[in-house]
Amino acid sequence: MRSFGEVWRSTIFQKWVMAITGILLVLFLVGHLSGNLLIFLGPDAMNGYAVGLRELFHGAALWIVRLGLIVIFVLHVRAGIVLSQRNRKAKGVRNQKFEARSSTVASRSMIYTGLLLLFYVVYHLAHFTWGAAHSEFYHYTDALGRHDVYRMVIESFRQPTIVATYVLAMAVTGLHLNHAIASAFQTLGVSHPRYTPLIKTAGPAVSILLVLGFLSVPLAIAFGVVGG
Amino acid sequence: MNLRLHIWRQSGPTDTGMMKTYDLADVSEHMSFLEMLDVLNEQLSERGEEPVAFEHDCREGICGSCGMVINGRPHGPLPRTTACQLHMRTFKDGDEIYIEPWRARAFPVVRDLVVDRSSFDRIIQSGGFVSVNTGNAQDGNTLPISKKDADYAMDAAACIGCGACVAACPNSSAMLFTSAKIGHLGALPQGQAERYDRAENMVLTMDAEGFGACTNHYECEAACPKGISADFIARMNRDFVMAGLLNR
Amino acid sequence: MELNSHIPSGPLAEKWDKHKAELKLVNPANKRKFSVIVVGTGLAGASAAATLAELGYQVTAVTYHDSPRRAHSIAAQGGINAAKNYQNDGDSVWRLFYDTIKGGDFRAREANVHRLAQVSVNIIDQCVAQGVPFAREYGGTLSNRSFGGAQVSRTFYARGQTGQQLLLGAYQALSRQIGLGKVKMLNKKEMMDVVVVDGRARGVVIRDLVDGSIETLMGDAVILATGGYGNTFYLSTNAKACNVTAAYRAYKRGAAFANPCFTQIHPTCIPQSGDYQSKLTLMSESLRNDGRIWVPKKQGDTRAPGDIPENERDYYLERKYPSFGNLSPRDIASRAAKEACDDGRGVGPGGKGVYLDFSDAIRRLGQPVIEDRYGNLFEMYERITGENPYEVPMRIYPAVHYTMGGLWVDYNLMSNIPGLFVLGEANFSDHGANRLGASALMQGLADGYFVIPYTIGGYFAKGGLTPVSADAPEARAAVEETTTKVQQLLGINGKRTANSFHRELGKIMWDKCGMARNAKGLNEALQEIPALREEFWQNLTVPGTGAQLNQSLEHASRVADFMEFAELMVRDALHREESCGGHFREEYQTEDGEAKRNDADFTYVAAWEYTGAGSAPTLHKEPLVFENVELATRSYK
Repeated sequence: MRSFGEVWRSTIFQKWVMAITGILLVLFLVGHLSGNLLIFLGPDAMNGYAVGLRELFHGAALWIVRLGLIVIFVLHVRAGIVLSQRNRKAKGVRNQKFEARSSTVASRSMIYTGLLLLFYVVYHLAHFTWGAAHSEFYHYTDALGRHDVYRMVIESFRQPTIVATYVLAMAVTGLHLNHAIASAFQTLGVSHPRYTPLIKTAGPAVSILLVLGFLSVPLAIAFGVVGG
Repeated sequence: MNLRLHIWRQSGPTDTGMMKTYDLADVSEHMSFLEMLDVLNEQLSERGEEPVAFEHDCREGICGSCGMVINGRPHGPLPRTTACQLHMRTFKDGDEIYIEPWRARAFPVVRDLVVDRSSFDRIIQSGGFVSVNTGNAQDGNTLPISKKDADYAMDAAACIGCGACVAACPNSSAMLFTSAKIGHLGALPQGQAERYDRAENMVLTMDAEGFGACTNHYECEAACPKGISADFIARMNRDFVMAGLLNR
Repeated sequence: MELNSHIPSGPLAEKWDKHKAELKLVNPANKRKFSVIVVGTGLAGASAAATLAELGYQVTAVTYHDSPRRAHSIAAQGGINAAKNYQNDGDSVWRLFYDTIKGGDFRAREANVHRLAQVSVNIIDQCVAQGVPFAREYGGTLSNRSFGGAQVSRTFYARGQTGQQLLLGAYQALSRQIGLGKVKMLNKKEMMDVVVVDGRARGVVIRDLVDGSIETLMGDAVILATGGYGNTFYLSTNAKACNVTAAYRAYKRGAAFANPCFTQIHPTCIPQSGDYQSKLTLMSESLRNDGRIWVPKKQGDTRAPGDIPENERDYYLERKYPSFGNLSPRDIASRAAKEACDDGRGVGPGGKGVYLDFSDAIRRLGQPVIEDRYGNLFEMYERITGENPYEVPMRIYPAVHYTMGGLWVDYNLMSNIPGLFVLGEANFSDHGANRLGASALMQGLADGYFVIPYTIGGYFAKGGLTPVSADAPEARAAVEETTTKVQQLLGINGKRTANSFHRELGKIMWDKCGMARNAKGLNEALQEIPALREEFWQNLTVPGTGAQLNQSLEHASRVADFMEFAELMVRDALHREESCGGHFREEYQTEDGEAKRNDADFTYVAAWEYTGAGSAPTLHKEPLVFENVELATRSYK
């Protein structure tokens, strides 16, 4: 019998780690997006939701989710780096000519889009969670004395540079997910002549929907549709 | 037709190697790609230069010996066609053709376009078989196997072990090769007894040989001269993890 | 030289069982004390190496390929025969035996062929157990198809890749033993000589093709499973590396070479397209199940095939051989194609081709059925010729495909050098003067899986093997000779490549010792070959050195042996003054052009003994005794 260490270090096991954490992260994005879209319901909905999240199970829920996310994120990034280093080494000398047949820009740039997203996530947290970046928009409170998340978002996305940064980040996210979603299913061995073609279409479609969803907030604000 | 060939020349495993350019005149469109190289080699030999070393044997697309990256694609531009079955009618007068060896750390270059693919053999040796000694067998018809299963197994078993999948893969992964054998034997009742051991041992040997991981580019499937589907990789991914759970 | 076939006594059907019962056994603990060298890892070699290792012998296997999976057995398309009678169509061991003997034009040993038919059924079982994905019926049972020379359906197949699947089965069995450490596998090493010590084969000289080093491997027995010599003709359906070197070196060390002139010309190959042609491609004989062969009735008819009306077509096989029709045996179908083309009715460039037409079958069964049966063959044809065979009939022409002759072996598959066993196409034993389709795979695997494991034990159990080392004078001398020969080849520094000599030799052989032969041509060849050989040793150029991968050197060394061996073939063809199977002497034919056998004078195996360079080989005759079948004129009418 092989030891757990041998299995854990194997390419396929690391790919599974990648795929499962990836799918969880996509599910997180779906949850995140549904929170974001509350902005269209106005300040009360948004700020109430933010407080609700913080106070769920006396604040325990948020930390459990955060811890889980950290673990998932670290595993995902670690597997990505380990595997891509391995892959680079496996190729060694490259051919002078390479003509792609089925790989795409998205599939070949996963490690790069992934690393960009890592920087983006740090920035994004610094912006909206820690208040370390653009702190001038962080310290608002609403009429009920709650942290005015709504205003923070509105004020932030009235800055063209911030909007541009987020649009760019979402483009990178889109590229990453374009390959990632269907790929995760293949890695997990979900393969069937009847369903695989559906998955291969659905993956990019979901990635586009997610990105459009996320972009709707900054763009709606930037063009004055929300927040007057 | 007249062609300009850019060919990787490397005198031995320790040499660094480089591309060299050769002009070749009067190539017939009915020649196979390897026959075109034969003509070049005859000319080089007659000039006292060393001919280009390349693997070839059956020249019918089944032995898996030949393999070279032609204009950035393993076995050249045609789908489901080995280099020996590629004919010059695919090219046109004045074309420049880049000819390079398979690239992978697990396939070190021996000379020019010849690489050492013994890592594939070692993968098979670690589990790509049914452990049945000669004389153990029961009557062939005792075990009914549906036509569907037999055909599915045959789809995987069609692999010729040429290594184009590895060459095509940006990660030099051998997953298509490995999964084809795991899929072939795992799909048949004869292969069930060792199904999970096989998956575990072959995958870990593949890793130890220094092949890369799969990132689902599907370049292998597109380059495979026998059209083996990357669905077998999904199946292997499943079997490998099941092995981790079920194997005692 | 003594040629004792060691055929067991008793009734034909009981000989093999009786022999097995009488063979002495080596006890399991002693088996690991015996070492066996297997040269060649195709069907016969891989199956033998795997099985002997399973039994416990120390096995070393040698191949010149980069992997045992590349052997040319892999290219066999159509199938493998076995007397299973799953189709309930009257097949039996006896019928397979009889068809093979008759197909071989009564020039094979009864006892060997009967054993082959007997073990054929075990082969299928063994291969199924290994996971060979044979074609199946919807109900899950094994599927069969028909092949030339038989009126029953007994051919098992895996699409058009049966040889590949069977070889991979044997390769996997061998790989398992390599993984277990029971077989030492040497890739990229070419056998250059046999080491004979005290009259027994005790080792081989091998050259490493990557670094050029030459060394000896010593053992208690040597098995040659090194394939056939079809590449003597340069253009053949054999793989480019196939060669006669191993067998020929054994011959030079004293092993008798039997029936070298028996060459099979396969009727369904893709015609040659130009002078640069490096090899010919076979289209499986199974195509003749549904394809109809024809030429125009009119000479020099250049109309497109579709424009030639039905009544102006000559379906010559159906006309001449109504009961077997398009499924006539290979030698007959090939000769009929040659006749039609010689008559000026050939089609395609140079008139060297006949049509193999599927339009009737497509009309009758629909294109999907034809695609399912022959899809990969049709694709291959289209890739090579650029023509779509679903729309235009295929053009085919005969080509050298298989060699029935080979090193002489007895019933135990041992040559006249004790300890030197020869399996598969490399021996002469089972196919007589013509091999039936789907029988080569059967023979290779029968020899490797089911014959040699028993008979080699009998050899070891007799005892008398003393230890020998690689320092034995005979071993050193053999290494010395090989080294000298390699140096000679590298040192000629002439103008012509080995390939150009090979091509020229092939042309002589095809023209004078090919599908039809006559004394005049053969005598000419006996003049031309030595002259060409002379030039070869004067004017050869081999670029590069002997200390690195040097494919020109490999080829030159093989061509050097073809140059000598070709002469032996011609000599054998000249001496056999009859027509039988693949050997058609124009002087000996009936009025309607059928082969005329001479049973009174030639019912024997011609085994040639080497007597030194420049001296004519000695002919030994092993009479063929037919106790169970009646020598009949082979008729497929």
